[in-house]
Amino acid sequence: MPQSTDLLQGTLDLLILQTLTLEPMHGWGVAQRIQQLSEDVLQIGQGSLYPALYRLEYKGWIRSEWQITENNRRAKYYRLTQTGKKQLAAELATWDRLSSAIASVLGGAAEASS
Amino acid sequence: MISELLTRIRFLIFRKRRSELDEEIAFHLERAITTRIAAGMDPAEARRQALIEFGGIEPTREQCERQRPGWWIGTVRQDVHYAFRGFGRNPLFTISVLITLALGIGATTAVFSVVDRILFRPLPYAEPSQIVSIGFVHPLERQEFVMGRFYVEWQKDQTPFSALAAQSTGVHNCDLVENDPMQLSCVAFQANFLPLLGISPLIGRNFLPEEDRPHGPPVVMISYGLWKGHYNRAPHILNRMINVDGNPVRVVGVLPKDFQFPTLEAADIVTPFALDPAVQQTVNGGFGYPERVFARLKPGVSVVQAYAQMQPLFNDDVKWFPPSAKSETRLSIRTLRDRETRDARPVAWVLFGFVLAVLLIACANVAGLMMARGAGRQRELAVRSAIGASRGRLIRQALTEALVLSFAGGLAGLAIAQVLVKVFVRLAPTGIPFISEAHLDLRIAVFTALVSCICGVIFGFATALQKPRMAALNAKAAMSRNHAFLRRSLVTAQIAISIVLLSGAALLLRSFTKIEDQNLGMQTGGVLTVKVALPWWRYNTNQKVMDFYLRFESSLRRLPGTRAVGMTDSIPPGGWQDDFRFSDLRVQGKSPFPPGTGGTVAGRSVTPDYFNALNIPIIRGRNFSDQDRTGDEREVILSRLLTERLFPGEEPIGKRFLPGAHVSGSGAIVVGVADNVKNSGLTEQSDPEMYTLRRSVSGDWSGNHLIVIVDSAMPAAAIEPWVRSEVSSIDRTIPVEMEPLKLALNRLADRPHFETTLLGFFALTGLVLAVVGLYGLIAFMTTQRTHEIGVRMALGATRGNILRLIANDGLRMLLVGLAVGLGIALAVSRMLKSLLFQVSVYDPLTYILVPLLLALVALVAIFIPARAGMRVEPAATLRAE
Repeated sequence: MPQSTDLLQGTLDLLILQTLTLEPMHGWGVAQRIQQLSEDVLQIGQGSLYPALYRLEYKGWIRSEWQITENNRRAKYYRLTQTGKKQLAAELATWDRLSSAIASVLGGAAEASS
Repeated sequence: MISELLTRIRFLIFRKRRSELDEEIAFHLERAITTRIAAGMDPAEARRQALIEFGGIEPTREQCERQRPGWWIGTVRQDVHYAFRGFGRNPLFTISVLITLALGIGATTAVFSVVDRILFRPLPYAEPSQIVSIGFVHPLERQEFVMGRFYVEWQKDQTPFSALAAQSTGVHNCDLVENDPMQLSCVAFQANFLPLLGISPLIGRNFLPEEDRPHGPPVVMISYGLWKGHYNRAPHILNRMINVDGNPVRVVGVLPKDFQFPTLEAADIVTPFALDPAVQQTVNGGFGYPERVFARLKPGVSVVQAYAQMQPLFNDDVKWFPPSAKSETRLSIRTLRDRETRDARPVAWVLFGFVLAVLLIACANVAGLMMARGAGRQRELAVRSAIGASRGRLIRQALTEALVLSFAGGLAGLAIAQVLVKVFVRLAPTGIPFISEAHLDLRIAVFTALVSCICGVIFGFATALQKPRMAALNAKAAMSRNHAFLRRSLVTAQIAISIVLLSGAALLLRSFTKIEDQNLGMQTGGVLTVKVALPWWRYNTNQKVMDFYLRFESSLRRLPGTRAVGMTDSIPPGGWQDDFRFSDLRVQGKSPFPPGTGGTVAGRSVTPDYFNALNIPIIRGRNFSDQDRTGDEREVILSRLLTERLFPGEEPIGKRFLPGAHVSGSGAIVVGVADNVKNSGLTEQSDPEMYTLRRSVSGDWSGNHLIVIVDSAMPAAAIEPWVRSEVSSIDRTIPVEMEPLKLALNRLADRPHFETTLLGFFALTGLVLAVVGLYGLIAFMTTQRTHEIGVRMALGATRGNILRLIANDGLRMLLVGLAVGLGIALAVSRMLKSLLFQVSVYDPLTYILVPLLLALVALVAIFIPARAGMRVEPAATLRAE
């Protein structure tokens, strides 16, 4: 199995919201999509996926509804709400700031060590 | 924002159904399995792998449930519900905790309500800490007073105060003359008296400066009680003319409902003090009349500074004093609180200490019980922890239980406190300031709530700190004696505290019996005291007063059953009497005594029957006779003590006194010596005493103290109506007060009785709680060791061995507790010194009996559970494994 990286607290929420921007998806789909896009680096423990989905729904950022899948099976689909979209934009901005800050710190460290 | 809020509210009300989540998880697993099968995996293996990958389904459910907003409210409800179920399963534990808490909290609250006014609550005036009582004090008058002449000078020359105000010394009787004359009490104060206290009248106004002058317009203020009781709260009372003592006066104001005179006296009518500086320079030998003076300190001036600043003025004043008074008179300045509560404070503090000790015992007891229960529940807690309860959840559960218990205990305690306060107020003797106003109020309710919460948190944590061990799941390890040391220390501490309480109460009880048993030197059974309040404005000459009393005396003598009718200005052993200085006595043929030596002598002006009515033996010479009453010679009788002081080894009969203290006119001759009578209160050393004959001469009937004593063969209830009708046949409107002397004496002992009862009650409460704690712990430890006992017996231990095994534990706690408690008791008993009468604070009997009593009770508490342990059937316990 490829080595997985522990997700930062709050990062999972961001990933879920980002994944749902494309289309409504069920829980399994979200997990698969994140795994695919990260080329198997990020593996989502289902133990934390569903609580995260519930948390986001309780916050009103996503909304769920039961739909029929392409295999003619009932499944619960999650879609982003308006509030969710705004929240995502805000969190992305924060993430950008944070990661560039970390990058510049790490970059400085890399230069110093080289 | 709003939509988010709405969503939250929606989910708060409509929970997600559990089946939805289950279906979702099922779908997820199904996809995981089909994906694996599509990748070519064996179906069974695919299912296994998918389940492994998913992890625990139940924790996921739990996690999802926890995301719900307000999730914790549900758990609190669960915790409370669970706590109640637990209590129901264990009623003995619950009841003992509740009783302990209710008693502890109830007693604390009740006593706090009583002592609060005395110790902590500010007096009902503006900035009360700035108000002081100032004046002279000397051994005959320990409350500050100022002579009018000096007061006038102080007003001009003082620096430390922003204001001074005087009131008359004490209330006096006055008559409200309307259709039916009514006797009231009157007092006078200056116009700036109320402003100094920061009080304004409820309706109407204060006296104006021009009314507070000699010969000013006649005005009065009336008390709220009189306004309500007599005038039905009629607003047009203002400016109405009423007749006080035969003079029409105008009502200008009504005092506030809760107004309290700084002297704590009650008065119905206040007149302006109308100080006349010119008169004060001349009357009473140029000293002026005595008055009570209160002052407000300037901001930033302390009592000590004020004292220093007043000292020069006082030094000037003292030069005027007669030599005998010079050395004994001091300047005194003390805060109003000090003046009002000084006597009650030692008792209040002792009471407060006692009650805190009881609360400590109660808390320790509850903590001990909770911990014992916690230990018994280790298995249960371990199981809960094993099936997923977090440590935080277990602690919260324990705290919930503790809080529920303390809340219930607090409620029950408040109910008990309500009852106790009523009982205290009823039991309380007069003279404990503010006690009749004691009631449970908001502050005190908050205090209780706080105490019960602290109790709850303390013992809640004590239980919660017991970490459930997985080992406890194992039945054998469930006997682990966790925190045994802490529990033992708690019980030991309880025993120690109850020793302190019990010895305090025992000392007071010993002191009280000494007070009760002492020889008063007179007989009180069958003696009735009669006080007649003659309105001074109608009986305005000594002659009229004498005529009334002589008529009254002869009419009482005619009543059936009367053995003796005496008249006196005071009755021992307590209350007012005409004290004077020993050094002011002048004996013919002896040089005067040095001023300020010899202390105080009690003076009494009596008729011959006084000695017969009270059965005071004349041990030398003779009693006064009825002929003496009309003769010219003045006779005196001395007490044995005074004779020994004045005429050691001499014949006292026939000795003469020159005019001086208590003897006027041409001097007096000693005709007899009476035996000593207790005359300075029940608990003080008796003073020497001098009786002068009250002759039937108008000059002997000045002064407004007169008590008629009737010694009768008839019961008091039978003669009281006769006495009443005799008075009204002379003067229809005069109120009469009657009381058997025995009752009046019992009232003197009321206060020690009250203190002893109260402290005894708390000591017993403490003892009961401590013994319950000891019993509970031993019983608990015995059940915990049942298995061990079974094994020991199977291996050949005798029942005696087992008894010793269990009892040893208890005995060790008992002995350590006794030793520690005795040490503390001996160290703190000094605080009781001021309350004790003829009992040393190290009274050996007390310190032997109290530990014995406690040991006895404790031994019973140890041996009952120990016997239960002894009866363990080894076979039964071993089979129970």
